[in-house]
Amino acid sequence: MGAINIQNLVKSYADTEVLKGINLAINDGEFLILVGPSGCGKSTLMNCIAGLEEVTSGNLIIDEDNVTDLNPKDRDIAMVFQSYALYPTMTVAKNISFGLEMRKYPKDSIEHTIQEVAKLLQIEHLLQRKPSQLSGGQRQRVAMGRALARSPRVFLFDEPLSNLDAKLRVEMRTEIKKLHKRLNTTIVYVTHDQVEAMTLADRIAVMKDGYVQQFGTPYEIYNDPANRFVADFMGSPAMNFVECVVIDDKLIIESDGKSVQLNVPDGQALIKAGIDTVILGIRPEMITEPKPHGNSGYITEIPFTIDVTEPTGPDTLAFGTWNNQEVQARLSPEAGAKAAQSNQLLVQIDTSKAVLFDPHTGKRIRT
Amino acid sequence: MNNLQYQLGRSFIYSILIGFALLYLAPLYVMLITSLKDVEEIRSGNLIALPESFNFSAWAKAWSSACTGSDCQGLAPYFWNSMRIVIPAVLMSTVIGACNGYVLAQWQFKGSNFLFGALLFGCFIPFQVILLPMAKLLAVLGLANTVTGLVAVHVVYGITFTTLFFRNYYIAIPSELVRAARLDGAGFFTIFWRIFLPMSTPIFVVTVIWQFTQIWNDFLFGVVYSGPGTQPITVALNNLVNTSIGGKQYNVDMAAAIIAALPTLVVYIVAGKYFVRGLTAGAVKG
Amino acid sequence: MFKYLATHLPKVVLAPTAIVMLVCMYGFIGWTAGLSFTKSRMLPQWEFVGLTQYEKLFSNPRWMVALDNLLIFTLLFIFISLVLGLLLAIFLDRKVRGEGVIRTIYLYPMAISFVVTGTAWKWILNPGLGLEKLAHDLGFSNFEFRWLVDQDMAIYTIVIAAVWQSSGFVMAMFLAGLRGVDDNLVKAAQVDGASVIQTYWHIILPLMKPVFFGAVVVLAHIAIKSFDLVQALTGGGPGYASDLPANFMYTFAFSRAQMGLGAASAMVMLGGVLAILVPYLYSELRSKKS
Repeated sequence: MGAINIQNLVKSYADTEVLKGINLAINDGEFLILVGPSGCGKSTLMNCIAGLEEVTSGNLIIDEDNVTDLNPKDRDIAMVFQSYALYPTMTVAKNISFGLEMRKYPKDSIEHTIQEVAKLLQIEHLLQRKPSQLSGGQRQRVAMGRALARSPRVFLFDEPLSNLDAKLRVEMRTEIKKLHKRLNTTIVYVTHDQVEAMTLADRIAVMKDGYVQQFGTPYEIYNDPANRFVADFMGSPAMNFVECVVIDDKLIIESDGKSVQLNVPDGQALIKAGIDTVILGIRPEMITEPKPHGNSGYITEIPFTIDVTEPTGPDTLAFGTWNNQEVQARLSPEAGAKAAQSNQLLVQIDTSKAVLFDPHTGKRIRT
Repeated sequence: MNNLQYQLGRSFIYSILIGFALLYLAPLYVMLITSLKDVEEIRSGNLIALPESFNFSAWAKAWSSACTGSDCQGLAPYFWNSMRIVIPAVLMSTVIGACNGYVLAQWQFKGSNFLFGALLFGCFIPFQVILLPMAKLLAVLGLANTVTGLVAVHVVYGITFTTLFFRNYYIAIPSELVRAARLDGAGFFTIFWRIFLPMSTPIFVVTVIWQFTQIWNDFLFGVVYSGPGTQPITVALNNLVNTSIGGKQYNVDMAAAIIAALPTLVVYIVAGKYFVRGLTAGAVKG
Repeated sequence: MFKYLATHLPKVVLAPTAIVMLVCMYGFIGWTAGLSFTKSRMLPQWEFVGLTQYEKLFSNPRWMVALDNLLIFTLLFIFISLVLGLLLAIFLDRKVRGEGVIRTIYLYPMAISFVVTGTAWKWILNPGLGLEKLAHDLGFSNFEFRWLVDQDMAIYTIVIAAVWQSSGFVMAMFLAGLRGVDDNLVKAAQVDGASVIQTYWHIILPLMKPVFFGAVVVLAHIAIKSFDLVQALTGGGPGYASDLPANFMYTFAFSRAQMGLGAASAMVMLGGVLAILVPYLYSELRSKKS
């Protein structure tokens, strides 16, 4: 109960197209994250699913029902808003029950639901308070409670954690994931925070400029990005992009006066593409101090001059340059400390997961 | 800054502030004591001299027997006229303004902002420019010189302000609230009634006070659109002061002026906070 | 039909207001404009005479006096109210004890009708028994104060009464503005070594610019619409020496049955308001966009 099928959905305001033909098929019970920079259309897409915005063309199907032209209230959808949108003059209990009341549920069943939801979210002691008397985290819970009360077929979350402080955000993130495990209801969740996307999603749709750039599992998105934008947007610290000269199926990296040739998995495609330069995409964690037993075919060692280091605790980020472009390496704290002193380090580059992009179009080059 | 300088500065500030406070209070004081003197004492004494004895006869006369033109019933009938005009006009313009503001802030549609701009313009036009055609329209509708006509005029030209007030109040409320309520299954009026009205008490108070003051104090519409017997108190006061049958009675004039000012003054003293909020909201376009 | 109503409820709710405004504001302005091009007197008659009424208007000495008066009144009224309002606001903002009471006192005249204000000041400025007598009683036997009946000075009595009524309001606007100034700015200026007066002059007053313009617009608007105060205080007299355009309009349109002329004067007043308002709104909108 809650499979969503979005077919060719277009939304335009006056003469600007915000959504330019979105196609997504979300399975029942799936946790889908819509992620992208602001203005990418993710919130508009969510509002279209909710029915708060009319779509310009295309279809929206939930289970077997075409709900494209249905009123929001007839879609059996509940939503948690960024600002929580709690009704300020109503108590928490009223906030939770308002939707049930509007749907004319019998009184005792409403009462029962309030108790059940309150218990689930541990807000029983808050039921008689007004939203203004609640902390940010408590409001967040009430907002979720309001959505839960109706047990809809789909939950929509619109950047629900962005108003919380960092610590609470991580807590609530885990809680939302637990909640999903327990309820198994389809969730569509909008965020601009790629960490949230990676941690929560069953599948992620990365959006930009009104298009879905890539739709896949967090693993696919992280390790096999469809284009340079997705590669850049997902992952923190961000992926390194280094423009390299191509020789046959190998890339040339110059670092600290020395130059090396890199083997990459998609090397064969370079020959086919017949281009002189390419953008190498490599994540910081693949540039480390030399480690024993790596996948030998893709390991290369190179001296690295370090401009600055940023210890983060579990590891240390080190910044240097290759081919005159800034590169981040991710070192162990010990190696990082040493590097900070000497400004010099031999690093190993593991290109087994490196990806290649066309310098002009930003598209993946792959075999 | 050393202590002496500081003390001097403080006393300077306080003396200026208190001096002006006395200046602002002076006219009210003069009105009050003059209204309590008899005509003889007014002629012999001066503006600020306290009366020898409190004499309320001028008040009684101003209320029930002073002449406003040829008619000598005091201000009482006009006081009630004003009430009969003000109460329905305030209520209607406020309710309509609330509905309009709700739509303009939370249910925007294509052209609604333009409409708001066009409405806002109405806060600024000098009413002289609509006086003549409105007189004609009232005559055509058979409302010339009637209380109903005055109520209608005040409602029509009050809506601009009330709409502005409510719109600016509601525009600060995140649109997500309406969205949440729509998903909860509530419609246009349910959302207004159950969610917006309960949180509108402050703006209702501001608007009601603003409208009450405006309409009670109105003179222009009153003098143009009322007839004998339907005049509001401001017009009657002006007539009373300018009626010179049997010599000037300044004490009666002053008592009458205070009577005319009393309702709005009471409102101001009781709910001054809201009054100021209305002034600034209404004046600085919001 | 029902479905249409349901989906277009917002428009339906707004429609009556929109129609009433279209008729009673824009329609009426058009009507008055039209009337000003006719020779209507007692009753409207739609015989167009071009700009004749405007020519008549500007060759009417009474109208020219009213315009002169408006200029004097507006400039003085705005200037004095601004200075006084700003001064009082600054002093009141210096963490003064009893601020609430003092503020209430400054502002109460604003709650009073202009007719009451006029009546009160008419008595206070009474040539025989008012201030003049008070001064005599206090020993200044040569003091003369007869502005109310002086052709050249009557307009200034209106300025006095209007300032008394409205300056508290300007004070409230400035006070709200001053309260909105970021405390850190003041602290930064102090750290930089600015004195209190320097802080006000260089830091705080420049920030009051929007309040200043807002107040000017409101005061100018009050000035142009001023009608009841003149009516109650001087009755436009002596003669027509203290008439303002609003009084001229009322007299000619309603007492003298010169509808065309009255309409023309109303249109000129509208023009005056627009001349102030349009640049103001334009700059407001522009600053909001950028």
